[in-house]
Amino acid sequence: MSRHPNSRKKKTMNETVLETHNLTRYYGSAAAVDHLNLKVPRGCICGFIGRNGAGKTTAIKLMLGLLEPTAGSSSLLGCDSAALTPAIRQRIGYVTEGHRLFRWMTISELENFQAAFFPRQWDRKLFAEMIEYFELAKKRKIKHLSNGQRAQVSLALALAPKPELLIMDDPTLGLDAAIRRQFLEGMIELIMRQGRTVLFSSHILADVERVADRIAVIDKGRLRASCSLEEFRSAVRKVVFTFADSPPAQVDIDGLLHCRRSDKQLELTLVGADDFEVAAWAEAVNALEHHTAKMNLEDQFIEFTAPANRRKLFQWEET
Amino acid sequence: MALWIQISAGSGEPIYAQVVEQVGQAIARGELAGGDKLPTVRKLAAELVINPNTVARAYSSLERAGLVTTKTGSGTFVSDPKLRKSDGADVNILTERMDTLIARGLNLGLEAGDLTRLFERRLAKYVKTPQQQKEKNDE
Repeated sequence: MSRHPNSRKKKTMNETVLETHNLTRYYGSAAAVDHLNLKVPRGCICGFIGRNGAGKTTAIKLMLGLLEPTAGSSSLLGCDSAALTPAIRQRIGYVTEGHRLFRWMTISELENFQAAFFPRQWDRKLFAEMIEYFELAKKRKIKHLSNGQRAQVSLALALAPKPELLIMDDPTLGLDAAIRRQFLEGMIELIMRQGRTVLFSSHILADVERVADRIAVIDKGRLRASCSLEEFRSAVRKVVFTFADSPPAQVDIDGLLHCRRSDKQLELTLVGADDFEVAAWAEAVNALEHHTAKMNLEDQFIEFTAPANRRKLFQWEET
Repeated sequence: MALWIQISAGSGEPIYAQVVEQVGQAIARGELAGGDKLPTVRKLAAELVINPNTVARAYSSLERAGLVTTKTGSGTFVSDPKLRKSDGADVNILTERMDTLIARGLNLGLEAGDLTRLFERRLAKYVKTPQQQKEKNDE
């Protein structure tokens, strides 16, 4: 057993398969993607997360050369996105938001149409097995399928060519839990083949937490984080300090994102502060006690992308 | 294969830690015995639908804790209980956790005898007491 799934291809492990350099796109005077510098190494599943309108779809379209950048550039598998050759395109899979497929075709016709773009590596057996697993008949027309079934066809179409790089734009949007899980299974299945890489955007952060080993966080067109999931999980934390009297008026601690205060407590959201720094600060301000509150990826994401002076939508006043 | 792992994504507990905890539980309960082979990283990743690197990380962590050993080329095995070493630091952590539990129990109004009985009852779920062992041998 190889303990690290990609250990046999050590020399390609640090290779970058997707890279953007100051990638920028304006719509009118507003920057949808703003000086994005993203690197995705080979062999990972990278969750691309950001709020609605953060620029995920625009960034993905720019990477695939489907949109022209206002400035900057990007490359996939070492080839400039503006000049992807057919040979390079055969190594890349793309699943669009909303699974837009040709409505008038049958599943079978759609398979033949797609397979023509991947003449060497289309796996008919895998496609047939998946369609059978989904209990779909190949002669059915796309327009007669439900949203969930269209997504399943789209998943089978994405995996059949065994792409070296699979890019999926919010593939599980609006899908039920069972079909979402099938997409996750598909990603895991693909990644276990040597040297495959997946980039997918999603708003379901529990899904991202489950399958991703890297994340990229985009906020208002800018890249806010790009690191291993583990690093992000340990970097963003919420610490509650309790004081004998009122907490200090001035909070000067490195990495402070947000500060909320009550009579005798301070709740700080911090980035990159380790246990030692937190303990040292607690001692410096004479806190009686401090503890780190448990956060899942969703809590972390909300705290991380919230504006500095954020208030709750509804303020509850005790009377 | 007596290994049932349930992953709960979004719970706040890192997924690798959930794997470590549950494999550790299975070993402590004797569902996994010394010498038993763990599933391969890839098989467990596919089964639990989690990233293979997460499984690999959990296995390394179990290995550092001395609960499993990896033999190159043949897999990851539950290590022999006799060969497991626990250092002073591990025992200290355990002692502190027990202190917390004892304090909570006393605050709930339990008496020393109640706590002892409770501890023995829970312990019996993991290891057979000499009394139970004797009954089993007599059968």
